[in-house]
Amino acid sequence: MCSRLILGRRGGVFMAEFRFIHSSDLHLGRRFASMQQASDDNLRGRLMEARFDAIAKLAGVARAEGAGHILLAGDTFDTPAPSAAVLRQALAAMRDEPGVQWWLLPGNHDNLREAEPLWQHIAQQGGETIHPLLRAVPVEIAPGVTLLPCPITHRDMGRDPSADLPAMPSPEGNLRLGLAHGGVVDFTESGAHIPPDRDRSARLDYLALGDWHGGVEVSARTHYSGSPEQDRFTHGQRGHCLSVTLTTPGQAPHLRKVETGTFLWQQKDCALLPGQDAVEVLQRLLPTSGRRAVLLRVLASGRCRLPDQAALTEAAAEAAPEFAYFELRSDALALDYETADLDAIDKGGALRMAANALRAAAEDDAAAAEDRAIAGAALGRLYAYVRAGAE
Amino acid sequence: MKLRSVTLCNVRRFAGTVEVGPIADGLNVLSDANEQGKSTLFDAIQALFFAPHGSASKEVKSLRPYSGGAPEVSAVVETADGVFTLSKRWLGKAQAQVHRGDRLIAQGGAAEDWISALVTGGEAGPSGLIWVRQGLLGLSEGTQKEREATLNARRDLLSSVTGEVEQLTGGRRMDAALTLCRKELLDYATATGRPRKDGPWNAAEERLAEVTARRDALQKAVEDLHDALALRKRRRAELAEIEDPQAIALRKDRLEAAEKAFETAKTHADALASQAQKVDIARLSVTSLTARQTERREVEAEVAEASAALAQIAARCTVSRDAVTEAELARQHSARISASAQTASKEAAALCRKVRDHAAARQGQARRAELAERLRLAEIARSAAEEARAQTVGGLDEKALRQLERLASEMQQARAVRDAAAPQVSVSYEAGQTGRVTLNGAPVEAPLALPEGGVFALPGIGELHLRVAGGEAQKAQVARAEQAFHEALAARNLPSLDAAQRAAEQHAAALRRAEEAATRLETLAPKGLEPLHADLAAIPALTSDETLPDADAAENALVAASDAALSAQEADVRAAATLAQAESRLSGDLAAQAAAADRKRRADARLAALPPEAPEGLADQLRRAVLTLEAEEALLRDKSAAAPDLIGAKTTRDRLRSVAEKTETERVSLREDLAKLETQISLAAESGVEEALAEATETQTAAARTLAHIQFEVQVLRRLLDALEQARAEARDRYFAPVAKELRPLLHLLWPDAELEWEDQTLLPSHLVRDGQSEALDILSGGTQEQIALLVRLAFARMLAHAGRPAPVILDDALIFSDDTRIERMFDALHRQAGDLQILVLSCRQRAFRDLGGHKLVLRPR
Repeated sequence: MCSRLILGRRGGVFMAEFRFIHSSDLHLGRRFASMQQASDDNLRGRLMEARFDAIAKLAGVARAEGAGHILLAGDTFDTPAPSAAVLRQALAAMRDEPGVQWWLLPGNHDNLREAEPLWQHIAQQGGETIHPLLRAVPVEIAPGVTLLPCPITHRDMGRDPSADLPAMPSPEGNLRLGLAHGGVVDFTESGAHIPPDRDRSARLDYLALGDWHGGVEVSARTHYSGSPEQDRFTHGQRGHCLSVTLTTPGQAPHLRKVETGTFLWQQKDCALLPGQDAVEVLQRLLPTSGRRAVLLRVLASGRCRLPDQAALTEAAAEAAPEFAYFELRSDALALDYETADLDAIDKGGALRMAANALRAAAEDDAAAAEDRAIAGAALGRLYAYVRAGAE
Repeated sequence: MKLRSVTLCNVRRFAGTVEVGPIADGLNVLSDANEQGKSTLFDAIQALFFAPHGSASKEVKSLRPYSGGAPEVSAVVETADGVFTLSKRWLGKAQAQVHRGDRLIAQGGAAEDWISALVTGGEAGPSGLIWVRQGLLGLSEGTQKEREATLNARRDLLSSVTGEVEQLTGGRRMDAALTLCRKELLDYATATGRPRKDGPWNAAEERLAEVTARRDALQKAVEDLHDALALRKRRRAELAEIEDPQAIALRKDRLEAAEKAFETAKTHADALASQAQKVDIARLSVTSLTARQTERREVEAEVAEASAALAQIAARCTVSRDAVTEAELARQHSARISASAQTASKEAAALCRKVRDHAAARQGQARRAELAERLRLAEIARSAAEEARAQTVGGLDEKALRQLERLASEMQQARAVRDAAAPQVSVSYEAGQTGRVTLNGAPVEAPLALPEGGVFALPGIGELHLRVAGGEAQKAQVARAEQAFHEALAARNLPSLDAAQRAAEQHAAALRRAEEAATRLETLAPKGLEPLHADLAAIPALTSDETLPDADAAENALVAASDAALSAQEADVRAAATLAQAESRLSGDLAAQAAAADRKRRADARLAALPPEAPEGLADQLRRAVLTLEAEEALLRDKSAAAPDLIGAKTTRDRLRSVAEKTETERVSLREDLAKLETQISLAAESGVEEALAEATETQTAAARTLAHIQFEVQVLRRLLDALEQARAEARDRYFAPVAKELRPLLHLLWPDAELEWEDQTLLPSHLVRDGQSEALDILSGGTQEQIALLVRLAFARMLAHAGRPAPVILDDALIFSDDTRIERMFDALHRQAGDLQILVLSCRQRAFRDLGGHKLVLRPR
């Protein structure tokens, strides 16, 4: 596939538009073992399969966009030593896509030191269209386009992984295309982050970054593509990739975000106020369609009464089977114990005495938080017992 | 509610209509024989209140009359709202109706609701009536289902009789909540609070342990893989360094240069050693010549010195000989003088001793005489003892005498035995007969034993020869005894036993004499005769009367002679010493002379042994040898200065050879290590160990989360269970206090100070406490059990009455095991309660219940 449209001549070199696909963090082989299986008992398999499907989807986007190169900015594999099946099926899937050149950068998950056998295998048996970038040396991936890769050598390098970029040479007039993996924010003040102005300091026309699973624009020339298939509730959007078009050196790139994800991971807040219909609030949060491909975590917070809590729990249990994954977290939901609610348990007698004792324990500020939580949950359970008996 | 009358129609044995009533307040008694309808009446009342008219249950069917038909029951009740008639008909044209007077106020389902509300307040159950069924004492009878039904009924008795009870105990909702909570908790934990083996809690713990172990194992495998990768990297670098062509060429060049340097150094070292040998030879020649020159000079000097010494010692020997001659003369003179003095001294000493002995003899004459007398007497005693002992020699001692006496006795016994066994003969003479028969010449009169071979002389008749046969053994025994006895006598040369006894006496007397003499000798000479002789000899006898000098003069003369002898002897000793010194000096000089002569001879011999050469020639030889040595040493120094370092060259060569060998060994080892590492890494990488670790880590996290969730769930359930049980216990305490208060005086009618304990689950009394002893009800007698059952119900009834909801108490043969004394007290209890209760007593024990009193009821046809 032709990826470079010739536009004119400059300095004896034909200059053209260069388009490629920027993606990262496929994390192939991730098994999602911490995910509780949904009712169909196949969630983990579906999530794993979706990550494999991302290869074909990226290739499809490349074809659709007229791009001949796909740059994977690290963490293509979830672990340094994936199983033979994961590795070979991934390579086979890439080889199966005609006209696409795959440029694979080692990330922290598949860093050079720990994943040496992996990269050795790819280098020896990857084939002509799969290019592992194992050294920080310039590679001319297309006429007039120099790729400057910054492979991750160790899981924790302890330094800026893009530090080599400014010193990397490239032929005069070539597009300088940086490829790196790591964060731009130094949370630990270790100096191991990529400077936000690296595109300028290294005279880059584009810096393709990986590591953040959500897409982020650091600057006009520096972008995180995000993962083509999400694997966490953090970003609230389906996975996507970037179709990047470069023209002449020094010109701003043109980007287009293309959705590639199968599953939508969402985390939604369900803030309740006393008197609110908890079930109605929950229903408003739920998507109306495509629930089978949605993983939803609802964080209940605020305050409600015992009946509202019971109704919320029932409504969540009712809706859960329609989703790929559904989780209601009520840790932050405080309960108001109204007298009328306790009357529903019993207006007097032993049941009411038990309910009163549990309520007092749940509202005892001097008690440990865990004890209060246990007492509150016990009261909720008593309410559910009595209500179930009444029905 | 109070019952006023009950009517039965077509119920079991009552084909027609029978009525009981009017039923009064207080105690009512229907006492009749068996099979008169008391239990039928009881069942009919129960069906009226609790069996729906549409029911075809077993209980309802059991009411059908034997002749067939639909059973009907009606009752007139009085409540706070008025008087009502309740009626039901089952099985055929079933109906239920409630009338107030003649007005129908409810029928069908409405009538059922009305009746139910009357007795239960809306909940099904026998709350409006309290009864004790015939023989129903506790929960032990019947099937499980029946017991559960009974339990529910009794629970209803407690929980639905009044709203208060329901509220206080929580009733069925409390039971349901507790059951659900326990059931859910039991899914997780055992009764002791441990995770149930087949439950989710235990499974979660096992799952977490399992995945943790798997994760740890995978973590180890991953670390091994990382280590292997790092090691492979190091090994590859090491191997590349070893196999670097430049490094190989460098090692080879260095080794060849070292080999060459070593060969050069070795050749030079051989030449240097040869030159050193030449130097050694030249030095040896110089040394030899120098030694020869020195030796000749020393020998010539020795000869001269030995000659001078010999002449000097010869002169000294002459002087020494003269001194010896002079000392010998002086010694001879002093010896003569000393001998004379010694003789004079000895004579003086002899005279002095003689004077001393004479003085001592005079002093010891008395002692000497006493010693001589003791010696004489001792000699006599000794002679007597010896003589007496001589007499005992060969004598007969007591032992021998005893032996002879024993042999004589045995002989006498043998003879007596023989004679006793021998035939006897006796003769009786006629009166006037003078002739006498003789046996072997002896007249025979008295009975005597017949001797063998005896001859009887029969006067006037002739002789009678007797031959006695038999008694051979006795005779032989006599012969042996006699032979032994006589041999013993002959052995001691004794004629008879008497002689033996006399000889024994003499022997004993001689022994006594010898002993006495020995005693005397011991007294006179305890140490023997020789010390006495010595003591006697030590005291000289006065033998002469010569004139002796005075003892002091003799002593003085002896001292003077001794001094003179001593002085002479000392002079002689000095002379002898002088002579010895002179002789010693001469001897030394002679020895020195001999030694000097010997030295001279040896020096002469050494001189003669030296080769006859002129000293000047030896000096020339030595000069030439020294020049040769200096020339060779100069050559050696030059060669040494130019010698390469052989040891260093060898060390360098050996080291480089070792490096080459070690490098090759290391190269082989590295290749082997790399092959192993490649296999290990390949296997681990192929197996996806990191992937498995990531999964295991996530699985572990999920398992830990699941376990935490379950643990929280268990805590919630325990907390809820605790709260429910605690609340119910508190409520029960509140509820049972009034019941116990009502029960206490009733119990005390039978057992002073008795109390009841209640069982939590059944809400029934479980133990009777009397005199501090707690007894389970089910081990008490049937009479005691039924009495307690009745009293408890009376207490309940009283409590309900106090709450404004009086309920009739119906007792159907409730006291069938009670003895006469107890039944009297139970009657008292019934009367005590009947004051504000309505009690119906149904009993077949007409005689026993005759004393109960109360309002008599009868079943009468209507």
